[in-house]
Amino acid sequence: MRQKFKQTLKSISRNKKVLGSLASVPLIASATMSDSCAGGCPYGLSNDPFPGQCGRYIDSSGDGICDLSQVLTSSSASSSASTSDTDSGSSSASSDSVNSNQLDSGNSNGSDNASAVTETGSSGSDGASLGVDDYNYHVLPISFLLLAGYMFTYFLFQKGILQSKTHKRLWNLLVTVGYAGVGVTGILLTLMINLGIKAYTQGITFWHAETAVLMVIGTLIHLHIYRKPFQRMFKVLFRWESYSNKKKSQIPQKSK
Amino acid sequence: MVYESLVPSLSVLVGYLFTYALYKGRLIRKTLHVNLWNFIIGIAFLVSGGGGFLLLIFMELGIILPSSPQLLYWHVELGITLVVVTLFHFHCYWKSALEMVFLKNRRPKNETKI
Repeated sequence: MRQKFKQTLKSISRNKKVLGSLASVPLIASATMSDSCAGGCPYGLSNDPFPGQCGRYIDSSGDGICDLSQVLTSSSASSSASTSDTDSGSSSASSDSVNSNQLDSGNSNGSDNASAVTETGSSGSDGASLGVDDYNYHVLPISFLLLAGYMFTYFLFQKGILQSKTHKRLWNLLVTVGYAGVGVTGILLTLMINLGIKAYTQGITFWHAETAVLMVIGTLIHLHIYRKPFQRMFKVLFRWESYSNKKKSQIPQKSK
Repeated sequence: MVYESLVPSLSVLVGYLFTYALYKGRLIRKTLHVNLWNFIIGIAFLVSGGGGFLLLIFMELGIILPSSPQLLYWHVELGITLVVVTLFHFHCYWKSALEMVFLKNRRPKNETKI
């Protein structure tokens, strides 16, 4: 039984093994993803100031600190509610303005964020029931689509229907689009966080994550297309050589 | 948290110019220069892309690790480096890049002039 398994493993070509391992990426992602929601800061930050490190920034208490990063949000909210009327008035006004900003950015996402944000007003400052976990970054659909597309064009290329040049050009263009998207949105986000700009943060974060999926899968495909130069890179830099295709006499023996 | 933009981008720029000068001065071969920067882009991609992917999974699962803020910081810093090194990658392979964008065909090496 064990030998049969080994024989079958040996009979599988190297290319098929690489493609198989590439195809396992979205499966691992699907196994690890779930609909569970985070009650605290997703990055584990404490007292994250305005405009926050991610698109989940929410400040219903209006103190300029993300509610998800505050450890005792409910107690601070109740204590602020029991203070003078003027204080509560100002805090509610500021929370309204924040909510309206989030509503705008939620609409720009094109997702269900708007409905998620409208619920926040009624649910108060409890991070777990804010409904901000309704983000869907489409990791699986994009990964599957890209891998299926690559397998299709690879099949066409193997059959001689598609030219090698066209095949490479297509995937090089896609990976360039991925890198450009991630680079531009990443630099914008860094600048906005450093300068304290809040506008369109959620929308930019969304597109940063979406294009990052294209970039990661595209890079793995790029490495598969250029696997020979990739292997040569280690040979040039670290003098690593594979002796699989060499005769025994060609392999240098270690001196005793 | 404030991120450094100039330090990582300037350090790789200086490094690239240094190895490019060594290559132009015929002190190192072009393959070494190109492969060195291919290796650096790979490392930057591994840390930035891998870190981002881990952060995304942790966010979805609601896992908060004590090292998450550090991971986020290095994801951003190596991301800035990756942007700059990607431009160097285009510079190293600019002929192929031009061909890719403008569909420009290279002349075959064995073509005889009329």
